[in-house]
Amino acid sequence: MNNRLRELRERHAWSQAELAEHLDVSRQTVNAIETGKYDPSLPLAFRIARLFRQSIESIFAPDKE
Amino acid sequence: MIAMAIYVALLLFVWPLARETTALPLKILCALAPVAPLLYVIALGAQRILQSDELEQRTHLIGLGVATAVVSVFSIVGGYLAASRVITQDVAALILLWVFPLLIFTYSITRARASRHYGTVGCDEDSPLYQRFLWAGAIFAAVAAYAYFYKHDDYMAGVATGMATAFALSALLLGLRYWSRRRRAER
Repeated sequence: MNNRLRELRERHAWSQAELAEHLDVSRQTVNAIETGKYDPSLPLAFRIARLFRQSIESIFAPDKE
Repeated sequence: MIAMAIYVALLLFVWPLARETTALPLKILCALAPVAPLLYVIALGAQRILQSDELEQRTHLIGLGVATAVVSVFSIVGGYLAASRVITQDVAALILLWVFPLLIFTYSITRARASRHYGTVGCDEDSPLYQRFLWAGAIFAAVAAYAYFYKHDDYMAGVATGMATAFALSALLLGLRYWSRRRRAER
């Protein structure tokens, strides 16, 4: 799964720790999502979308097969 | 760490009294005394898992799953050997005493590996793994000294010395790896 989390975070000039605080997760989780090592659950994906006022599919996209 | 120190103290000073005590309630109390700090540690662990986020919960789950599988195999091997009388009941009881420490050990190692897989550091930020191995080594060294100088139990002293050495060597290797990674990250 590809995502634009890093891009959106940097647009808001937030550190990973600040974004983690907004999402109520650990900084490690934000880092794992940004690097594509971990795909968030649907509730967390909704929280991310709500925080950046975007749709889930504009932030997360499946890998090209 | 305090709970585990209490556990070791109860195991060394209270649990042996169970064999010498004749009154059944006191015997049961002495025999089960080390279980109390273990329950406290389990409750702390459960609380920590409940407070962690979804990725941390996943790494906890992976750790617990692998640890359960390893301990189950270990227990069933011991059970079959005891049932077919290849090993004595005393040895079987000793195997059962090692179930919980093995579970925690396997869980810690597996969880650390799972955390690394996701690019996270697990619990290493507040207490690196080598430090915890050093503490475990120090506890086994204290047990070895107690067994050798006060109990004059060569078997117990030998086992504890072996465990202390294994933990100390592991701590040394983990410590070297930890420092080399930190130096690489600082460059």
